[in-house]
Parts: sequence; structure tokens; C-alpha cells
Amino acid sequence: MQQRIRLILILLSVQLPLLTTAQGLMDGFMKGDRKASLAVTYSQETYDTYYRGTTPFRDPNLGTVTTQAINLYGVYGLGYDLDLIVSAPYIRTEASAGYQPKQEGFQDVTAALRWEAFDYKFGNSRLSWLFALGYTMPIQNYVNDNILALGQGSKNIDGRTMLHYKSGGFFLTGQAGYIRRGPVTLDRIVNVYDPSQVNPNSGMKVNVPDVTEFIVRTGYATKRVYVDVWGQQQTPYAAGTDIGPGIPFPTNAIGFRRVGGTLFLRLVGRLGLNFGYSTTLEGQNIGKSTRLSGGIIIGN
Amino acid sequence: MTYTTMVRNLCLTLLLAGAGLTGCKENTISEGVLPYFEPATNDADGGTWRTVLLSSAATITVSAPTAITSDAYQTELTSVKNGLLTSTPAQNTAVNYWGQGGVVRWNQIARQLVAKYNTAPIFNDATGQYLATDPNAPVASLPFATRLYALLGAAQYDALVVAWRAKYQYNRPSLNRQGLVTRVPVADVPSYPSEGAAIAETSAQILTYFFPNEAEYIRAKATEHKQSQLWGGINVASDVKAGETLAASVAAVALTRARTDRFSTATDSWTSLKARAPYDVTWQSLEIPARVPVVPLAGRVKTWFDSTTVARLAPAAPPATSSTAFQTALAEVRNTADSRTRDQWATADYWNDGQATYTIAGHWNLIAEQLLQEDRQNELRAARTYALLNRALHDVTTVGWQAKYTYFVPRPSQLDPQIKTSVLIPNSPAYVSDHASQSAAANTILTYLFPVETTWLKKQSDAAIISTLYAGTQYRFSIDAGTQLGTNVGTLATNWAKADGAK
Repeated sequence: MQQRIRLILILLSVQLPLLTTAQGLMDGFMKGDRKASLAVTYSQETYDTYYRGTTPFRDPNLGTVTTQAINLYGVYGLGYDLDLIVSAPYIRTEASAGYQPKQEGFQDVTAALRWEAFDYKFGNSRLSWLFALGYTMPIQNYVNDNILALGQGSKNIDGRTMLHYKSGGFFLTGQAGYIRRGPVTLDRIVNVYDPSQVNPNSGMKVNVPDVTEFIVRTGYATKRVYVDVWGQQQTPYAAGTDIGPGIPFPTNAIGFRRVGGTLFLRLVGRLGLNFGYSTTLEGQNIGKSTRLSGGIIIGN
Repeated sequence: MTYTTMVRNLCLTLLLAGAGLTGCKENTISEGVLPYFEPATNDADGGTWRTVLLSSAATITVSAPTAITSDAYQTELTSVKNGLLTSTPAQNTAVNYWGQGGVVRWNQIARQLVAKYNTAPIFNDATGQYLATDPNAPVASLPFATRLYALLGAAQYDALVVAWRAKYQYNRPSLNRQGLVTRVPVADVPSYPSEGAAIAETSAQILTYFFPNEAEYIRAKATEHKQSQLWGGINVASDVKAGETLAASVAAVALTRARTDRFSTATDSWTSLKARAPYDVTWQSLEIPARVPVVPLAGRVKTWFDSTTVARLAPAAPPATSSTAFQTALAEVRNTADSRTRDQWATADYWNDGQATYTIAGHWNLIAEQLLQEDRQNELRAARTYALLNRALHDVTTVGWQAKYTYFVPRPSQLDPQIKTSVLIPNSPAYVSDHASQSAAANTILTYLFPVETTWLKKQSDAAIISTLYAGTQYRFSIDAGTQLGTNVGTLATNWAKADGAK
């Protein structure tokens, strides 16, 4: 029994905090061979202004939209240079005004492989180059065509590359990614007026625009404390629509610029606490939201 | 392609190659493809069918065409032949587009315009007021849309009955019979006057009346439609001219009716009606801030079928809010909303037909489109289908609106704010259900016209009828009364059709 506990503790020995999907699924820190960690975080995100296209808009019939999420996030080192990352959030969204029902349920499960392809050492410093490939799919058939939708409902492939520099406690990570979003089927036939369409009886299947993503993150990381600040920019790559009457929500071109920060403190042994904050500076067809999160991390 | 774009695309291609993907361009919304067909019947007796707006087809005289042996005709024919040899890709696209059916295309255009103008007034955050609507950009609410679809259908149908009468009266042979091969399949009917031109001119005049701001777009469409008859080798210039002329006469009759059908006063004040409402709790707008209903007096608009008979079909008074019957109905809405399944949500969403859609009537026009294409209906028969369906849907709306603004029954959420709706709550009183009345009427008529599809149509209308209960916007008694009203008006329409001369 003692041995087993020790084995689990070895598997879960804490090294770094975990970052949930809200600011990109992954950071530049490799987990290490056969090391693992698991995080449970709670987050709350609110907005009372959303962007129609890029124009901020407030709807008195919607009031303030609140999204609460419990996210389960795990990393396991398949090898010294290969990690498996899995994430699955349970989400609840509700509006403070109007008569729209709150929506609640599992959103999308994501599995990703992160590969440290190269690393260079210069004295005390280290520069690594990483690649990652992820796949996301909805856990259940949630409503996707609604302002309070849990998600877009698409199956996505996420390819990204990262440059990660570390010198002592200081680190700097830059990453660039492309998220390929698959088509989704709506509950309804689209009736929107679009003279460029030869056949006006559009179907129920619509495309979700792909996006590109850039994240820069810097901070200070030791065994006991981790702190960072980051900036994230998502830009629609494929053509998309703007929020408007009758326009399907999944076809909207979504983009945003967000900044945030993370603080991690190791309490005892392999147990740590994680806090996060982020805010939206500007956006496109998305809520101008502010997010607070907190979580427990077990592992190495 | 700039250098940076090239590099970006190359990078993306490499990045995604592992997953078997490339960053190619995608359509935002996928589209279906309509089939081409040669109409199943020619309806040589179509000129004798009972007209709607005109007392008979004979009231409009179509002048005799020149003989096909005449120089004038031969010049026209040569011009069409030469045109076929030198046709441009743009012309071919137009021929293909209109080749799928003029009546169907104009119905689609009408639906698109309805969807475009089917919007809520814009709220100005700064002033706390709704912006006034431009009279040239009217709100295409359900009463507006049904009136438009009905008038369009009736005018197209009458124009085609007149055209068919002249076709078989003068018997100018079709171009296919004179050795030409049309670019798209057409009905084997005499070519004079052109049915395409008749549809184009009627539709353009009717739609411009409803949407003055779209005049230019509509005119361009009509011109292209008429020209496509020449480009496709379907008609010569004098066929088109004759079709256009007869259509203008029919459209004039239709527009006279439109100007005197009392719709112009349907937006007048409704507060006195509300004060008189024989109901214990009256409807209030649930919008923030409250919004006035769009056309509260649409119940006064002139009906297409006999007004006395239609008025007799008005639903009985709804149960008072204090009654057990009402409380049971309200509790059912609450329970359904609280335990709404994903499937129920999907049904409610499919039949939402709210803002920026064709409206519920337009949704049934879309369904009719599929059926008449499967049935390979010629232009005249397609127009008859739409005219019949839409006149009934209009009259159903008229009676339904009368009930709405007599009783002012509140929406369920007004009485129980805990009732959350999966669609936006329509800004009109509840009783009777538009979805139930429209769908029951459409089902009755389409089942009569397309008996093969009885089972499928029943399934569609059942889903449409119950969708508002799933959405949380309607009571069962409202749905039942709507279904009854729709079935009765539908029967009235099918009885008309049984005696209209079409077999």
C-alpha cells in the first residue's frame, strides 16, 4: 500500500501549473517521462457587452451573461520529449435578463500530443522548439446555434508550434497555431438573405470558420511558485458571418485579443493552488468578457 | 497572391498535411442543388381554369401574333438562333438559374426579401427609444408576408391562365417544335405569349409594391428572367413582349386590390381594442423595453375566400386565466420548459420561423417548392399550388390576428416568468397559435395537391404544430384552436380548388 501511494506520488510530482483552454491548451513546459498531473479548476466568465462584428453592443434582453466552468485537465509524459494532454470542461451559461434558459452540460473533449522536437542549451539557458497536434470533439449534442451555447459543436484539429526559452527562473514562450474547425449541422434551415448564393435554400449544414492563434507568455517559474502574464490573439482565417438576426452562430467569424495572468503556489507535497485572471481587450463576434479562475493541481 | 500569403499558405499546408488537411477555401453555408425537369403535364385546358383576381381569363385580351412565316417572325427567330451560338457564360448562368422554374424562383426571391425585412425595430441605447421604421423598408411580419405571398401567387396564377388561354388560342408552335433545342427542359406548349415573361413582369410589379427600396434589384432580376427566355432558345422577342403586356394588365388588377384591402390601416392604434378585451389578464410585450406589436389590426384585412364563411371559422373564446383549464395549460408549458429535451429543442428551433426568416408561411412555401419540383409541375400548375396555399395562409392569419387582438391572451412567460423559452418570444398575444393554424392549413392543402406525400406532410405539420409548446411560447388550448382553424380554412381552399377546372 505504502509503495503504491509512493508510486502515485511519483507519477504526480508537481513541477508546473496547468493552463486551461481559455488561454490556449498548452504551455511550453514539458512534463517529463512518465510524470503526470491533474488539475480541477473552476472558472467564471462574465460579459454584458458583446461584439457584433467588431462593434460593441449591449442587449437589455440579455443583460449579463455568465459562464461557469469546471474543467478537468490532465498531462502525462509518454516520453521525455512527448506529452499527452487531455481536457474536458463542464459548462453552465446563463443570462441575467430575458427568458432564455440557462444551458448546462459537458462541452468538448480535447486530446493533444506535444512533442519537443529540438532543444539547445547555452550555459544556464535553454531554448526548445515544440510541436503539438490536438483533436477536439463535442462530448454531447449540445445546442450550438444560440448566444448562450456551450460551444460551437464542431470537431476541430489544432496544429501549433512553440518556441520556449528558459533561463534560471525566467521564461518566455511564443506559440503560433491554426485551428481547423469542421462543419456543424444546425437545428434549422438557414433563411438569411445573401444575394451571392445561387440557391437561396441553404441547408442545415454550415461551416465554422477556421482561426489562427498567437500566444506570448512570460513569467517566473520555480518549484514552489509560478507566475506569468500572457497575451493571446485569435483571428478568423476563413470567411465568416457577423452576429445578426437569423445568422447562424457557428458561422460567425470569431476573433479576440486577450491578456491575462496566472499565479501558482505549491502548498504541501504535490498539491498546489492555481489562480487566473484574464480580460478581453477587443473582439469580433464574441463577448467582451472577464474571467476569474481557481483550481487545485495534483501532480508533478 | 502576395509573398506573405504564399508563405502562410505553405506553412499551413505543411502543418496540416499530417492530418490530411489543407487550408482550402470553404463555403460559409452549404447549398443543395435543384434538379432540372421537363414538366409532367402541359395542361392544354389551362386557359379555362378559374381565375382568382380576374372574373375570367377572357377579360384580358392578348393580341394575335404575327404568322411564323412572316419576315418579322423569321428575323426574331434568327436572332434567337444566333444568340444560342454566341451565348456568354453569364447568359448561360442566367438560363440555368431561371430554367429551374420562374414561379419557384420568384417565390424564393419573395422569401429572401421577407427574410431580409423580417426584423425587429432597432433600439437606440443613447435615446432609450426604438428607431422609426422607414415606410419604404417595411417590417415583413407574418401578416405582411402572407399578404405578399398570396398576392404574388394569385397574380402569377391569373397571368398564366391568361397566357395559357392565348397560347392555345393562337397555337404559335414552340421553338423546340421548329428545330431549335432549348438549353433547359421546358413544357411543350405554344410559345406565344411567353409564360416566363408573364411571370417576370407580374412578380416584379407585385414585389416592388411591397419593397420599394428593392425596386432596382427586382427590376434587374425581371430583366434577366425575360432575357433568359431568348438566351435559352425558349421564346422569341414578340413572345416575351406579349407575356409582359398581359402581365402588366393582371398586375394592375392585383395592385388595385392591394391598395384597397385595408392593410394600410392595420398599423393603427390598438390600445382601444386592448381596453375592450374580454379577458381577465391582458397581453404585454415582454421585450425590454416594451415594443408595440407590428400590425395589430391585420385581422381587418380583406380575405381571399368568402369573408362571411371565413369569419365564421373564428375560434371560440379561450379559457380565463383563473380557470382550471388555463392553469393546467400553463403548468404544462412550465413542465415542458423545465424538462425540455434536446430533441424538443431541435424541433422548436427548426420551426422557430422568427426574425430574419421566411416566416412560418414562407417555411411552408419552401416545403411546397420541394413537392412541386418532385411532382414536375409546369409553371401554371406551380402558380396554382402557390396561389391556393398562400391565399389560405393569408386568411388563416387574418382570422388568427382577429383572435389575438380581441382576447389579448398573455404569453406563458408573462404569467410565469420562470418559463424559459428556447426561441425568442414573438411580440404578439398568444391566442391562437400561428404555427398550428398555418401548418394545419398547409397540411390540408398540400395533402390534397400531393396525396402521395400524406404521411410525410402529416409528420411535418405535427412537428410544426407542437413546436411552440416545446419552445415554451404557447399553450395547448391555443395550439388546438389554431389547428382547428387551419384545418377549416384549408378545407375551404381545397373545396375551391376542386371546382377550379384543373384536373
